[in-house]
Amino acid sequence: MRWIHPLTSGEPADVVGGKAHGLGVLMRLGLPVPAGFVVGTAACRAYLRDGRLPGGLAAELATAVAGLPAGRVSVRSGAGVSMPGMMTTLLDLPADDLTDAVTEVFASWHTPRARTYRDLHGIPHDLGTAVTVQTMVYGDRDPRSGTGVAFTRDPTTGDPVPYGDVLFGRRGDAVVSGREHPRPLSDLAGREPEVQAGLAHAMAAVEAHYRDACYLEFTWESGRLWLLQARPGRFTGTAAVVVATALADAGVIGREEALRRVSPHDLRRTARIVPPADVLARGLGACPGVAVGRIATSADAAVRMAAEGPVVLVRPETSPHDLRGMAAAAGIVTARGGRASHAAVVARAMGRPAVVGTAGLLVGPDSISVAGRALAAGTVVTIDGTSGEVAVGEPAVTTSLAEAEVERLLGWADAVSGDTSGRPGPDRLRAAHDALTAQA
Amino acid sequence: MNVLHTLRCMGVTTLARVAEAAGLGESDVQSELIDLAVAGLVTYEPGDFGGWGVTPAGKTADAAGVAAELDAAGTKAGVAGALGRFLPLNTELLDLCEAWHLRSGTMNDHGDPGYDARVIALLADLDRRAGVVLAALTDALPRFGRYRVRLTEALRRVEAGETRFFTDDMASYHVIWFQLHEDLLVTLGIPR
Repeated sequence: MRWIHPLTSGEPADVVGGKAHGLGVLMRLGLPVPAGFVVGTAACRAYLRDGRLPGGLAAELATAVAGLPAGRVSVRSGAGVSMPGMMTTLLDLPADDLTDAVTEVFASWHTPRARTYRDLHGIPHDLGTAVTVQTMVYGDRDPRSGTGVAFTRDPTTGDPVPYGDVLFGRRGDAVVSGREHPRPLSDLAGREPEVQAGLAHAMAAVEAHYRDACYLEFTWESGRLWLLQARPGRFTGTAAVVVATALADAGVIGREEALRRVSPHDLRRTARIVPPADVLARGLGACPGVAVGRIATSADAAVRMAAEGPVVLVRPETSPHDLRGMAAAAGIVTARGGRASHAAVVARAMGRPAVVGTAGLLVGPDSISVAGRALAAGTVVTIDGTSGEVAVGEPAVTTSLAEAEVERLLGWADAVSGDTSGRPGPDRLRAAHDALTAQA
Repeated sequence: MNVLHTLRCMGVTTLARVAEAAGLGESDVQSELIDLAVAGLVTYEPGDFGGWGVTPAGKTADAAGVAAELDAAGTKAGVAGALGRFLPLNTELLDLCEAWHLRSGTMNDHGDPGYDARVIALLADLDRRAGVVLAALTDALPRFGRYRVRLTEALRRVEAGETRFFTDDMASYHVIWFQLHEDLLVTLGIPR
């Protein structure tokens, strides 16, 4: 076939897209992936050039679909470079004619939002996306089904402990929507030990392949595990330092590679909650820093209570009426919204630590609750705008997590740059990067 | 522009900001606010985070007022259509604000003028496209014309190097846009 490739083709990401490339890696590692194929980026480029699908693609699609098990399919976008959430994905389609679905995904390359994303990240506008077609697996098929996302290591500390969320009896889109309160990954071991064992095996195999902490999306259907996506985890901050030094210590990567994987920005000193903490909920960190304060559930209450000490404003989402409450508060938590929401933008503009998109958080007039655990307004909470943690009470806070790992990495940096004069950490790392670039 | 409705879309704020947003003189606005306060529709709260704000009764009165206004104009379909075109632009604007604050997952330290210039150029491009929607809205209800004036001023200041008018100032592009978003929802009677 000219336009369509098997998932195991081994073609590079610029030909089959990053998503299909990752699925091919999983299959070559012998891990369970739903049957499928990929329409390569060349077909999208032809579509973008001519305004219609290239000749022959429809026939190839029919042939490729005929090779899949009977049933419905998912049709997902995936360019050679990551453009998360910018293009269309279609789920649960009858597989009889996919030309409209493929056309729709190709056309989504040109949405203004996707264009803006490419302009911001210097991605050429004529690159095009691939389209991955796979047999659907259903996390909502029965009580022994479910879905989840996981990092092979904790993305906020870098510790070698898997971290993730699962939803029992739900499909993958439910995890991403944030409407339902997910369970911690550790719940899987008790309810689906075989799925958990399969996932642990997959995590080890994927880490060994990418030689990095990784991110996985998965579904289990009637007790059987399926992997839907895998890629390197792209950790930042303290976690980047901890993972890079751990992998170098284990001999998985060299010290120079460890240095390349950490950016000077990762060494910035940001206040963080020190585990263990009594974590009520975990959302998305939208503005780094730690805030401690009493819960206020409205802007008016935040202003009133702030006169007697710091408050944390907790809202379902925000409107302009919350602006003064956000100004009065030490920190902000919202149930809905992402890092690009009005609340997140205002929090960063005001320099307030913030947690947004806190799945399952309910805000009442005089209390908040998460998964049946209620806290009255006025209760002291601590929020970490890096990890997205909302903790009850006042756990310990530090600006120097993983000090030992940072010092060790900077020692390697000095050895590379040959400069051992006392300078700030980011400068020492930058000098090492310059020396490595000069060597290359 | 109607003082009660302007304040309704802003939250609690100062006399100067209401006057600026409404495009009216401060003394006229102050006199109107006092009348509204006597009628129980707005209230003034002193203190650091205080200012003029709409009461629950004021909210109800404004909702009735804008519904009647829309009925009289007979342009509900036009405003609803504009909201439909506004929402994708809203997603884009929030993406740009995120890009202004964060770069590759860490805070943008604004140390790379090339990157910042790229984000600002994209804001200007978005503003041109938003202009089409604002023009349609202004045809439907002329009071929306104030947002065009205010957004243009915020963008001009960002482009002139006063970059706090991107997201940080209470008269920044994002804050005005946030109020426009609120105004569209209130005007159409859509709860958040």
